[in-house]
Order: sequence, then C-alpha cells, then structure tokens
Amino acid sequence: MRLTEEKVKEWLRDNRFPVPEGSSAANSSEASAVAEQLGGVAVKAIVPTGRRGKAGAVHLVETPEEAAEAANALIGQEINGYPVKEVYVEAKFPIQSEYYLSFAFGPRAPKLVVSRHGGVEIEQTFERDPDSVVTEDIDPLTDLKPWDAVSLWERAGVEGPVLARLGQLTSRLHSAFRNADAIMIECNPIAVDADGHLSLVGAMMEIDDNAMFRHRDWSSEGYSFGAEGRILNEREIAVMHANETLPGGALRYTELDGNIGILMGGGGASLLQHDMIIDFGGKLANHTDFSPAPSIEKPLAVLNAILENPNTRGLLLSFNYLQLLPCNILVGALCEALRQHGVDATSFPVVVRVFGPGEDEARSMVEEFPGVRYMPPKASLDEAVKLIVDLTNEAVASGSKS
Amino acid sequence: MSILIDQTTRVLVQGITGSQGRFDTQYCVAYGTNIVAGVTPGRGGQDVEGIPVFNTVRHAVDETGASASVIYVPAAGIKDAVLEAVDAGIKVIVALTENVPRHDAATAVAATRAAGAWLIGFNTNGMVSPGKSKLGGIGGDRADELYVPGRIGVCSRSGGMSAELSAALAAGGYGVSTCISMGGDPITGNDMVEYAREFEADPDTDGMLFYGEPGSENEQGLAKALQEGEITKPVVAMIAGVFQESHPAGLSFGHVAAMIRSSDDSASAKQKLLSESGAHVAHRLGEIPELLNAALG
Repeated sequence: MRLTEEKVKEWLRDNRFPVPEGSSAANSSEASAVAEQLGGVAVKAIVPTGRRGKAGAVHLVETPEEAAEAANALIGQEINGYPVKEVYVEAKFPIQSEYYLSFAFGPRAPKLVVSRHGGVEIEQTFERDPDSVVTEDIDPLTDLKPWDAVSLWERAGVEGPVLARLGQLTSRLHSAFRNADAIMIECNPIAVDADGHLSLVGAMMEIDDNAMFRHRDWSSEGYSFGAEGRILNEREIAVMHANETLPGGALRYTELDGNIGILMGGGGASLLQHDMIIDFGGKLANHTDFSPAPSIEKPLAVLNAILENPNTRGLLLSFNYLQLLPCNILVGALCEALRQHGVDATSFPVVVRVFGPGEDEARSMVEEFPGVRYMPPKASLDEAVKLIVDLTNEAVASGSKS
Repeated sequence: MSILIDQTTRVLVQGITGSQGRFDTQYCVAYGTNIVAGVTPGRGGQDVEGIPVFNTVRHAVDETGASASVIYVPAAGIKDAVLEAVDAGIKVIVALTENVPRHDAATAVAATRAAGAWLIGFNTNGMVSPGKSKLGGIGGDRADELYVPGRIGVCSRSGGMSAELSAALAAGGYGVSTCISMGGDPITGNDMVEYAREFEADPDTDGMLFYGEPGSENEQGLAKALQEGEITKPVVAMIAGVFQESHPAGLSFGHVAAMIRSSDDSASAKQKLLSESGAHVAHRLGEIPELLNAALG
C-alpha cells in the first residue's frame, strides 16, 4: 500500500525524524492560511505517484496569495492519472547539500541504497556517477548499526561532520522501516542546511499489504492499485473487501480491457491459462488469483464482480486437478451467481473445468442452466481455454450482427 | 533415491491440531509418511490420529528424533514457528503459509539458511517423493494417481501447477523422483537452482522439469548454472505470465526497485534466457513429454 506524502511526513514526524513543517489543505483558503504561518512554501498535489515535479504538480511560492493560487490551480486537476483532492503545503528548506537514501527488498533480504548525490532520480545518478552509489544487503537477523551506516556513506564519498548525522539517521530509519512493515522507503533528497541540520525533504513509502494485521491504523490511509496503476473500481473494491472480511483463502481480482471473465484456482494455473487465452486469440476481462478453501462466499463475491463487469461476454471457471474446494461448493457458487444475474448461457458462454470431490453433484447442478459446458473428465487446461475463446468470439460476432 | 525426504524421514507437524493440519496429516499418514509427532502449545499430551502432540518442537524432537517439520501456522505466527523449528535442529522445513509479511519471511529465511536447513515455502502445498513420503497437502487423497514414481525431478513455483506438470509427465509415460512446490511468495527459503543441484546429484533423477513465473531471480540462477555446466542433466522449463508484459506496471512510485533489480524478470525474458542456456522451454503442458523424449534420447 502506497502512502501519500502527507501521511509519510506525519509518520516520520511521529517517529522523531526531521521533516519540514507542513500541512495538507483542501482548498485555497486553507493553503493560504498554512502559508501565512510558514512563509515561502512548496505547494504539492497529493497523489500517490512519483515524478510530481516533472508533471507540474509542485509549485514554489513566496506569499499566501500565491499559495492560494497554486492550490486553486492544482485541486481538481489530474496528475499522472490521479485526481488531486488536496495539496500539501510545506515550508521551503534552505538546502546546502543533498543526499539519497532508500530501503527496499532484494530477492531475500532488505537492501539499502545511499548516494552522495540527492535530488535527482537515482537511476540517473547511477548512470552518471556509479561510484557515488552504494548498495548493500542488510542481514535481517541484526540491526543496521550507526557505525556500519557511517561506513556505507563513507564508501559513497561523503566526508565531514555530516557523516555522523547521516549514520545515525540511517540506522534509526532502518529500524523504523522494519517496525512499520514497510517494503520501500525512499528519501530523496535528505537535505542539509548551512548549520548542518538534516531534513527529509522528499520521502515516499510503501507498506506491506500482507502485514496490515499489525497496522490496523494504516489500513484506511493509503492507495491500493489495479492493473496499470489505476485506482481500483467499485467491483475491485468490493472483492478486496470480501477478501478481507469473508472466510477462505486469499483472493485477488483485477479488471482488464478484454471480454472473457475468468475464475481460476491457484496462482500458477491462472497465469498459464491467461497466457493461453491470449495465444488462442482471446482477451481477458479480468485476472484472478484465488487460493481455494472450502467456503462459498469468496467465489461468489468474485463471480458477482465478473458478471457485473459490463465488458464480460463469457466466463471460464477452471481449477487445478486438485484443490481444497469441493466441486459442488464451487459450482454451487457459479449457479447462484448465474441465477442472481439472470445469465443465459446459450448466448453468454460459460465453460467449467473443475474436477475432484463433489464432481458428480456439480455436474448435475449445471443441468439447470442450458448452455453451460462442463468439460469431460481429464480434459486438459488447453481444451477448456480454447473452448471459451472460440465460444466468446462467436457470441460477440453474432451479438454484433443482431 | 529422491531428494530431501524418503520413507525413513521422521516428520513432525507444527499446528497439527488445526483443521488443515489434521486434514493433511491423515492423507500423509495414509500415503506412508513417517509422521512421528505433532506440536501445538497447550495441547501437549494429547494425540491426533494416534500421533503424540507436544507443547514445543524441542520436546518433540527429543522424544521422537524428528528431522523434518511441516508447519500449519497463520501468517502472524509463521516467523516464530520457523525459528522454533530451526532452533530445535530441524533440517527440512515445509512452510505452507502464504502472503507472509516480507520482513518476517526475510528473518525466517536468514535463520534457516544460517543453520544449514532447507525451507520449502512460503506459499507451498508441500513436496512428495512418490511412493515414499509426502509432506503437506500436495496430491491430497490422490497423490498416488497424480504423482507417479519415476526419474524426473520436478520443481514448481506454484503448488497447483506441480500437479498439472506431474499429470502431464504421467500422460507421456514419465514419472517423478521428487516433486517440490518450492513456494510462490516473493521470498522463499531456497532457490530453484539449489533444488536443481540436488536433482543433478541424485542418481535416480535423469532429467528435471521447472515451472516459473515473472518476478524473482530463480530462473536466472538456474540459467547461470546451466551455462556454467554445473547442471548437465536435461532441463525442461515452463514459464507462465507473459501476458503481464502487455500491462505496464503503472507510473513508477519509488525509483529504487528498478535500480536494484539486477536482470529482466519478465516471463518472456526468462524463457529466452533459459532457452539460450540450454533448457528446453515448453509453452503447453502437452509439449513436456515430447521435449523430454528428444532430450533424453
């Protein structure tokens, strides 16, 4: 889950890290009032994305009137695809020098990246001056000691009294990174003023969705994303809510721009069948990732979403050979959803490939719905996928004729 | 032979008194797995299907000599459960829990590796050496039918796909020496190439079959071992998730992720790299036996 700037700054402040004074503002008068107190400020659009400067979402102003104008200009705009509802008004910091620090995850352990060049994108720094960038794995079994952090900054070419301050800050931020279950924190820049005071002027942060049970306070604070960085739509939010509140295994639902709806069990088989649908000339209306468990609520939630998506023109329900969800429960959810949405499977193709316990009962359940194709025993993934692609393409073609 | 487990492996089950632990354990016992103990704090002295339950892993190991553990513990408790197993000297740990918080996974994996133990998972349905032993829910009550004994080592990032792969092998007249669902979470205890090395050293494995996905550096490690001649037995690989490449990940948030990633981890990049390194890349399950026929001669 990504946190927007005002949340990150608040979290940093709560944890006694130095950040510029600032506050969010929902309109021009609020922005002007904050600027009145702070003097020269940066007015920044609150959106969950980087590269705001390039997108014109940061205005540097001197007076409360200018701050109000900047807020007016930004609120209601769309920045990098996200609507701006609020701005963050922050005191300008008198920057003498800038540094870069981030924590993220490598394949097996957290990684730290530091550079003596802050304020520019780290990929650019690495290209121009690779020696100024130091990357290091952090042993999850120990803390990052201040003196080890000092030696990393030293390797990045930092000298002088700032070393001690950077070392201490880095060590403390590592602990905070771990305690917050963050999977990414990027401080760019860490600014230093003429007196040697540090300030985390730029800060982005992402929290581990899987650790929310330890951070209930975060759960309503951030943004979760669908395909291509979109904000989730109402059906995706409904499934996310179902995933959090209903019993059963983990469930994800993401809408795409095609027309074949899918509910598949197991992450691997979902990926493979998705590839095959494209190979056979189909396009998916959604992707799902579902760890089946014996309850009807979650499959019903996702089937409802699929059938409510106006782009869906066909449905494939296809699971691995062996799963923990008896066929009659899963197919029971399908029948319930078809009934609720009044689906006519003779014009809206439905293909089922679900084998295992409860299969006989499941097969007799679908007889109530003419047109539902239940694949014969031992039919391969390939056969089921090809059938739904062909039937959906036919249904679309005959639908557009009539 | 087989890798990591066989019929002599003495196995304990952490969380045996929960519904999933109890359910899977019945099928494991029926399969022939030598399950000697269960562990649930507070349930010491009870039994499940005649298997004695202890309060701690240490006590269970002292009493029964168990050397492998299957763990059924929710995400909130999985780190401690793994650390407890490591602490008690367990050498093969199967951690079924999925969506483990990243920091917890990193800590558990670091401790396991420091102790020289294996950690299968997170997000696995277990492993099976057909006809000998199985750990976890893999194959359910149909493990005999889905995992036919044979001479191909299987390692899959997806639990469900391990069944599809093994069924595809059986359909083509091949069987499995050991099948490992290595775990599908971002952080796993061991890498694909580490299982490949075990299969390479196993005299009863003639070839290997891997299933991979986008993300992680598992396949890149396997490709490197193939290039360097460390793995010489035929390797067939299937990598799903090419479709993801037509959906851009969205506007970047932080920059560091792109910078610290050492290689292209898309499905098609992995297919290309493995193919160039000498692996035989399958795009359909049905192609797997044909590729093995050609490679094994």
